[in-house]
Amino acid sequence: MRYHIVLRYVGIILLINAAFLFISAIISFLKGDSALFPLIYTCLIAALFGAFPFIFIPPTEEISIKEGFTIVVSSWLLSCLIGMIPYVLWGGEFTLTNAWFESVSGFTTTGSSILTNIEALPDGLLFWRSATQWIGGVGIIIFALSVLPSMGKIGMMLYRSEISPLAAANFRYQTRETLRIIMTVYVGLTVAETIALVACGMSLFDAINHSFTTIATGGFSPKNLSVAYYRSPQIETIIMIFMILSGINFGLLFLSLSGKLKVLLRSTVLRTYLIMLFAGVVLVAVNIHGAVYGGWGETIRHAAFQVISIGTSTGFASTDSNIWPPFSQMLIVFFTLLCACSGSTSGGIKVDRAVLLWHAIKKRITKVQHTHAVVKAKIEGIAIDDDVLEASLLYIILYVAIVFVSSLLICFMGIDIMTAFSASAATMGNVGPGFGLVGSVSNFGNIPEIGKWILTGDMLLGRLEIFGLLLFFLLRSWK
Amino acid sequence: MGIRAKIFSGFLIMAIMLLVAGAWSIYELSNIGISVQRILDDNYKSINAAKLMVEALEREDSAILLLLLGKQKEGRAILQSADASFRKAYETARNNVTIPGEQEYVDAVSRAYDNYKALWSKPIVETAREGNLSWYFSEVHSSFLMAKLSVQNLMSLNDQMMYRTASDMESRAHRATMPGIIAIISAFVFAIIFSFLINLFVVTPIIKVTDGIQRYIDSGIPLKVKVDTEDEISKLVSSVESLIAKSER
Repeated sequence: MRYHIVLRYVGIILLINAAFLFISAIISFLKGDSALFPLIYTCLIAALFGAFPFIFIPPTEEISIKEGFTIVVSSWLLSCLIGMIPYVLWGGEFTLTNAWFESVSGFTTTGSSILTNIEALPDGLLFWRSATQWIGGVGIIIFALSVLPSMGKIGMMLYRSEISPLAAANFRYQTRETLRIIMTVYVGLTVAETIALVACGMSLFDAINHSFTTIATGGFSPKNLSVAYYRSPQIETIIMIFMILSGINFGLLFLSLSGKLKVLLRSTVLRTYLIMLFAGVVLVAVNIHGAVYGGWGETIRHAAFQVISIGTSTGFASTDSNIWPPFSQMLIVFFTLLCACSGSTSGGIKVDRAVLLWHAIKKRITKVQHTHAVVKAKIEGIAIDDDVLEASLLYIILYVAIVFVSSLLICFMGIDIMTAFSASAATMGNVGPGFGLVGSVSNFGNIPEIGKWILTGDMLLGRLEIFGLLLFFLLRSWK
Repeated sequence: MGIRAKIFSGFLIMAIMLLVAGAWSIYELSNIGISVQRILDDNYKSINAAKLMVEALEREDSAILLLLLGKQKEGRAILQSADASFRKAYETARNNVTIPGEQEYVDAVSRAYDNYKALWSKPIVETAREGNLSWYFSEVHSSFLMAKLSVQNLMSLNDQMMYRTASDMESRAHRATMPGIIAIISAFVFAIIFSFLINLFVVTPIIKVTDGIQRYIDSGIPLKVKVDTEDEISKLVSSVESLIAKSER
């Protein structure tokens, strides 16, 4: 592998980080806050590290699959490292562990926070915090739609197990064109949401921050109470619409925006995703009506917001779901594990794999009934390879196993079961909030230091679809 | 870009990282110095003055008890001296109003002390007040406590501000050390990358050229070295190739 080529392209990512750090520094300067020097110094480091490889390394058009993969994963890890520097330099609640947690939570678009008082952060740092999620969101889609599907033999293995063939059926573009589409949809959605939020009365700064973190399905908010701070059904509705959109495969979104609505309607994954969200909202609403909220209006409003927020792995809060009955909490835990569609910015097991799992179950039942029958699972008329079904099942088992081990380790540190399990599931699924100590209006500050490192490991594993991170550490054995 | 410029840029980048970190650390350290001075000038002076006022008030209280016992000379002497001490300390506090809202606390001290003084300024010995403990408890003692409380409030305000400034100093100390630590780590990582690139784009091609020349000398194999960069190395390769071609002619 040509490490210098990796270095050159990772440099580009660092320069992108430097650009956002510079914008954050400008905000800090205009507001006269205390984050100016931390942001400028980090911007300088990122820019110098990013630009230096260009002096030595000549450009190259040809990048191998292995190099491409290494570029994406190492860019992610390096971005997390660079992202924590402004926090560490600024101080406050940011110890080394806390800064790493906040940075990883940002770039993986998880949205879990260690901050007890978010509003105490200077505006420049708040913007940087949201920007990490926005940058991370682009990274996820490029990784999912562009890098993994183009990885030849190994790529197919990854592609089958991580992205599923349904994403491929939905998206058939070459890399360069893919990048253009991703950026068009991504920036377009961000701008549209910002305008809509400003129109609903939110300040421009807050609107940009919320748009950044909605489209990335991240969930960082500049307010301690998250979206609940605004007490505005209009703002919540706008955010809900954009959360749902951000949970859809970006390729599909682009096609539908280009007038090819049929593709959107034909998608089994999309139908399943929307039906599940709708069913979740109805069940939660019925459960919390009377028990928590009196009127149906308020009940549906909060049920819809919380289910969509968790079901798309965003993690915003319109209310404290910690006080909801156990049935609703368990439903939300289910959505924490499942999340939205592949090819979107969301995390979790993903609806695609749930659809595959359902077909695998149906196939198994038919095989039991008709022992000699040749049965093939089919989705939208396309036969699904047994390898693909097996890989998806393996991923789900591995996913749940990691959540279980992580919960066990956190329980060992004296944390209660609900907090430990929901924290592990929420970080692995890149959702953000859980229940108990890490509820929707609480934070991860009370988790022990080692626990925070475990949870950041979960975030990275979940974001890089488990095998992505494992393969990165096994690069030497990758022939 | 030539090799000289490339190497220079590497060292320049490291120097920039260290210089900026150093400059920032110096800035934060000088701010710590300013904070220390502020604690001494603004808060400690007022706290010390408040302590002197409390001490003076307690001496005045003792003096009043002496007057109640009929000790006119001793009581009045102590009152005179304590009043002078109080006035002196009060003037220090009045001239050192540095915290927003502190003026109100200073005025409250003045009002409470005037009320208290009005009670003991009048004669006590050989009047109905001599030995009158109920007068002492109902009027003098409560007035004494009010004056003392107003001084303690002033002291508490300065205490809080001193604590806040000290906390700010702690975070400033953190900010002064962290850039240095980050600059050292960054410079270390940068040095590794720099050495990797120098090795890849300068040292390795030179070794390849040397080996190629040696192969030509030993067995006449033509020199073929692929250089990706357009710098002195590529010029060296083409010069050696020309030299070989010329010598063959």
